[in-house]
Amino acid sequence: MASAPKAPARKPDAPFYFNTSEHLLRIGRYKANNLSELLQAMQACPEDCIFQHTFRTLQEHHFIRQGFSNDFAHWSLSSCNEPELAERLAGVDVRDFTAVEGIRHRMIEIIRDFVTAHPDSGSRPAHEPFYFCASDIVLLPTPYAPDTVRGFLDGLQHVSVHSIHHHFIEARLRLKRMSNDFSVWLEEDVGLNEAANDIERIDIYTNTMEGVRLKIGRIISQAMS
Amino acid sequence: MDAEDQRATFAGTSSTSPASGSGHDRRTNPAAYVPERRLADRRNGRNLPASVLTPPTPPPPPHLDDYASIVGRAQIDALRFLAHELRGKSMRMVNSTALGGGVAEMLNRLVPLLSELEVPAHWDVITGGNDFFEVTKAFHNALHGSAYELTQAAKDIFLMYTEQNRQRMHFDEEMVVIHDPQPVGLVLSRGKTPASWVWRCHIDLSNPDRKVWDFLRPFVERYDAAIFSSQSFARQLSIPQYLFYPCIDPLSEKNRELSDAEIQQVCDDFGIDRSRPIVTQVSRFDRLKDPVGVVKAYKLAKKYVDCQLVLAGGGASDDPEGAAVLQEVRDEAGEDPDIIILDLPPWCALQVNALQRASTIIVQKSLKEGFGLTVTEALWKGKPTIAGAVGGIPNQIIHKLTGVLVHSVEGCAFQIRYLLTHPEFARTIGANGREHVKENFLMTTNVKRWLLLFRLLEQAKARLPKAA
Repeated sequence: MASAPKAPARKPDAPFYFNTSEHLLRIGRYKANNLSELLQAMQACPEDCIFQHTFRTLQEHHFIRQGFSNDFAHWSLSSCNEPELAERLAGVDVRDFTAVEGIRHRMIEIIRDFVTAHPDSGSRPAHEPFYFCASDIVLLPTPYAPDTVRGFLDGLQHVSVHSIHHHFIEARLRLKRMSNDFSVWLEEDVGLNEAANDIERIDIYTNTMEGVRLKIGRIISQAMS
Repeated sequence: MDAEDQRATFAGTSSTSPASGSGHDRRTNPAAYVPERRLADRRNGRNLPASVLTPPTPPPPPHLDDYASIVGRAQIDALRFLAHELRGKSMRMVNSTALGGGVAEMLNRLVPLLSELEVPAHWDVITGGNDFFEVTKAFHNALHGSAYELTQAAKDIFLMYTEQNRQRMHFDEEMVVIHDPQPVGLVLSRGKTPASWVWRCHIDLSNPDRKVWDFLRPFVERYDAAIFSSQSFARQLSIPQYLFYPCIDPLSEKNRELSDAEIQQVCDDFGIDRSRPIVTQVSRFDRLKDPVGVVKAYKLAKKYVDCQLVLAGGGASDDPEGAAVLQEVRDEAGEDPDIIILDLPPWCALQVNALQRASTIIVQKSLKEGFGLTVTEALWKGKPTIAGAVGGIPNQIIHKLTGVLVHSVEGCAFQIRYLLTHPEFARTIGANGREHVKENFLMTTNVKRWLLLFRLLEQAKARLPKAA
């Protein structure tokens, strides 16, 4: 079956500004010694704690592709020995959310359901406490602001994985839509709609951030050829 | 990472330490080293080669660009961008020793890098008599949870030397960083300057002696922020608390890349057979590092897999307890020719590096730990690492992803067997471990954290209403 002809890329309407974000970890006031305490703390803690342990932790562990998803899931397994709960929490995809409150509610729902169904698990002491942290974030420019697709590919190769994370994962919280900065630029400023869609479908949980970088580059190169 | 833990990593000696170093730490002072006592471990038939008996000349500190090939140009660019807004501002670091220990080792590297970024960092060392350092050593142990009877005399000595140092020091910089409890009282000078004051605590405060902590806490709460090495080491405080992981320098003698010939030379010197699996623990001969437990785990594992065990440490020549622990290790090892026990001088960074790189598996089976820098070193070398799930180690080892955590001799033995017989899994966690260090525990990340904190504190200061 012949594929539909690709829409030609046009000269971008605007440059793509590669930025990056750096963060400083702040130790929070909340701590949980068991699942019930985790549930309470998740309800009370500031939004930036939830952001840290879901979105931001992916950046800190960007090199792992064998099952790291978020800190709550990891702690449920490693310190509480609750694989079922861990699997459910790990199944929460940060890219399904455009606001941190959404992910907080989903996590709380999962933990509450689990503790209700397994009351003994709620009060069983964890091997290690869960310490809530948050980040103070500083946004930084990079030297890359390409106004061609070729220049974009060059910038993509050279920026740090933190920049990829910033544009590809955290962007949806800024954009308040189910997309990312790369796809938005490719679609709105370049006209590469199919490539924009393909990039949005890259699985961040089975790829490292370096893998994501490679896939984005490959998708755009194919769209251009 | 407390001072004791840092010694276990064989901190290199420095030629760039600030003036007026106290020199009170005999254990890391090469001049005080007695090589005759380390000449041989005759019971295990290993003589130390003459090349390790005198300290080598330290190489010059690296420049920022030297790190680009390791962490990537983008990371170096980010440091330059971060520093740009701080250009012309400066910071002062104050600690209690210029020579020996991980804090001095870290400052020796950090200070020149910050200055290269045009954010000059000045480094001062407090002075005090033996009575002061006896008190602060007791405080150190008490903050780690040891029993201690705090007396008014001890408080008076602490306050007297604090006052002497305050009279001597001037704080003209925009940020002042005080390391550890010994100089914590210098914050009493903060009223004289517009600087932001930060307390960098390198020790575990999770279970302190109540009276000592109650005495020190009012000083701590006069700072603008405190920094800890692990979430679990922090206290509830009225000031913001940040997490700075201790870091290693990938260009130091202990961590730089080595040629195969360099590794082979060290193995030949110590009689280690590289054609057979090597399991290594690098740490002081200290019960909290459980070297006897490591020998027991090796024996259990050896029933099923062939391997050699290398225990490389120090601290036995000048520490009666270390000598006793070394004897216990020898007794447990018996006559097994595959157990190689090396009591090394503290300047053997290159040898430790080579031993770690030659190893098939690295173990750090600590029973209590601050932040195990030897774990970071092992991970950086891409080695599958087995470590006790204590202190700050769970920050470094994410179980089954960047290494494996154990809680017992039996667990350690099982993991040795498993990793030796599942090389693909061992390779994967080793590779993940190296990336984990690259992201979180290298000197460049440490520089970035200081710059970020400096910027954030400057921004906070700018938001404060100006005094009339």
